[in-house]
Amino acid sequence: MVKKLIMDKTEKSVVTFARWGNYTIAVKGLLEQLGMKVILPPKTNSTIIADGAKIAPELFCFPMKVTLGGYLAVIREGVDTILSIQNVGGSCRQKYYGLIQEKVLKDGGYKVKFVDFRATPRDIFKALKKNSGATDWQVASAFYTFFQKLSLIERIEKMAAKIRPREINKGGTEKIVREGLASIEKTKNLKELLNLKKQIISKLKKVEIDNSREVFKVGMIGEIYTVTDPAINFDLEAKLGLDGIEVHREMNLTYHLKKLAFPWIDWLIQRRIYSYLQSTVGGHGRDAIGEMLTFIEKDFDGVIQLLPFGCMPEVTVRPILEKIRQENNIPFLSLSLDEQVAEAGINTRLEAFADVVKNYHFKKQKDLKRQKDARTLNVKKI
Amino acid sequence: MKCYLGIDVGSISTNFVLVNEAGEVIYTLYIRTEGNPIKAVQAGLTMLKQNLSEKKMDVEVIGVGTTGSARYLVGAITGADLMKNEITAHARGASQFVPGLRTILEIGGQDSKIVILEDGSSVDFAMNLICSAGTGAFLDAQANRLKIPIEDFGDIALRSKKPTQLGARCTVFCESDMIHKQQIGHSTEDIVAGLCHGLVRNFLSSVAKGKNIKSKIVFQGGVSENKGIKKAFEDALQEEVIIPPYNTVMGAVGAAFLVRDKPPEKTKFLGFDITERDIRCSSFNCGGCPNNCEVIETRIDGKVAARWGDRCGKWSTMKLDI
Repeated sequence: MVKKLIMDKTEKSVVTFARWGNYTIAVKGLLEQLGMKVILPPKTNSTIIADGAKIAPELFCFPMKVTLGGYLAVIREGVDTILSIQNVGGSCRQKYYGLIQEKVLKDGGYKVKFVDFRATPRDIFKALKKNSGATDWQVASAFYTFFQKLSLIERIEKMAAKIRPREINKGGTEKIVREGLASIEKTKNLKELLNLKKQIISKLKKVEIDNSREVFKVGMIGEIYTVTDPAINFDLEAKLGLDGIEVHREMNLTYHLKKLAFPWIDWLIQRRIYSYLQSTVGGHGRDAIGEMLTFIEKDFDGVIQLLPFGCMPEVTVRPILEKIRQENNIPFLSLSLDEQVAEAGINTRLEAFADVVKNYHFKKQKDLKRQKDARTLNVKKI
Repeated sequence: MKCYLGIDVGSISTNFVLVNEAGEVIYTLYIRTEGNPIKAVQAGLTMLKQNLSEKKMDVEVIGVGTTGSARYLVGAITGADLMKNEITAHARGASQFVPGLRTILEIGGQDSKIVILEDGSSVDFAMNLICSAGTGAFLDAQANRLKIPIEDFGDIALRSKKPTQLGARCTVFCESDMIHKQQIGHSTEDIVAGLCHGLVRNFLSSVAKGKNIKSKIVFQGGVSENKGIKKAFEDALQEEVIIPPYNTVMGAVGAAFLVRDKPPEKTKFLGFDITERDIRCSSFNCGGCPNNCEVIETRIDGKVAARWGDRCGKWSTMKLDI
């Protein structure tokens, strides 16, 4: 009955929103459960990026061009409303994406309505309610399903990162992840989702792994969009995973939502990094420093920073990350991504970085062994 | 004689190196790629075979390693046992000849890199990203402009007593700066030396930024033939800069040594006769999903020898004709 009420509204608008890695399907599910008609931008590829870059201001950041390209593709299919959220990446130029994209699209002769709202729980709730016509209860229950989906997606991502470097049958994990995500997108209700959850997780647990294999650990830090979207970072996590490297990242959508809901997380990070940086630099700049310190503490074999070309917060903290690298001697690679970057160049750097990470790992082991031997020798002497 | 073959296919040059089991370099060959890596490799292998028979050397290849930007393509058509990135290859090659090496400066045709080593293994590296300023292509363009052969560039630079200050951050702006300096009467020698200093300044402030440069420092790659650049590096770093043997083909040397470190049980090398066969390379967009990956396909005599470039592994794991 609920659905019927909403359906009865005349001239239903067709909405879209920016694609964001694997989380896209959870957001799509949320909007659909609220009775909105959603057309997703096609999966990000080089054509989409080129389309967006063509009409976007040249020096604006990369995610803005990518999302703009995605919008262009679906506007042609009849989308008339774009939901755009401000400040997803903390305070930086992301705040103006909606404004600028609206202007650029208008200048290009496209007619489309922008619903630009701030990323506070209250504003998100209000915006969704207003645009869907759903009741408080419906919005709340749709959010419940959304969080269930999101946590499942993130759990799959985390499990896959762990299994990939250890799998015996190369590429097996990737297949389960891909199929799993596709079936999550198709789920209609919570019950189906919970069933699916059991299936996917048991499938992942059944992947044959070789535990005796030497696995290297690398932490991925940086700007949230480039870090979490495999279509943007050239599938970096999977690539390194197949090379025997386990990639960890703190950054995901839940992390960001948690920070929105509990602002004191920022204070804790600030306290932790105080000796390196005494103020905010916008975006997830402080988080990058904090995460790098965590990864070093956990004895990782390397750290990769990803950023869109010209990302102000990440560019600001890069020299600090370099300094931390020099103090701790840990392998560090900073990759800045935009429409000009070729995959071949990234691959060469990643391959070389993988070699450096492995060298570092074995050197650490050797040093440890040497220390141990020296200690036993001393004991014998006494 | 049993040998390991190293092939380095870059944007400007294609290099071949043979290393014997004792770890001695017994043959090197440097030819121009001229935009066609497949032809370059075929021509190179033909020359290699000819040279060997002229010298009456009987060589059996027991391992092949490829490196450089076309390593996958060339690896597919020659049947390489190892395809390694050029950073690791250069580091491996140089550490063979200069023990205790800490820093490698490498400037090639279209890229430049710095590698920091500790105990013979690389611990840090950087490569130039989008800009070509600070590479061999930049020097080539300027030498062309000044109408001097690139081979004489270094000697001319060394004659200068007072190098001209040139902004070498960008190739285009450097050129206008250079014309201006010519017009106000700076000598060619000073300008050439100024270009060398500018290139080095650019390299150190962009590629090598924040890197811990310690001696022993090695300088290799095509541009290391240029004495002017070597001197400019020594002036800027205040340290001795070593030019190792085989400096222009170090990538190929490294690739050969990398195969020698872990020799394959049986090499996949397709033999020297691939030079006579018809090798074609084509690409198509898969279209199976919105990723729309560009899949590259190599055919030898019409039979598919390799496919790569797809993200999901649909094509690269497909059964091959050879």
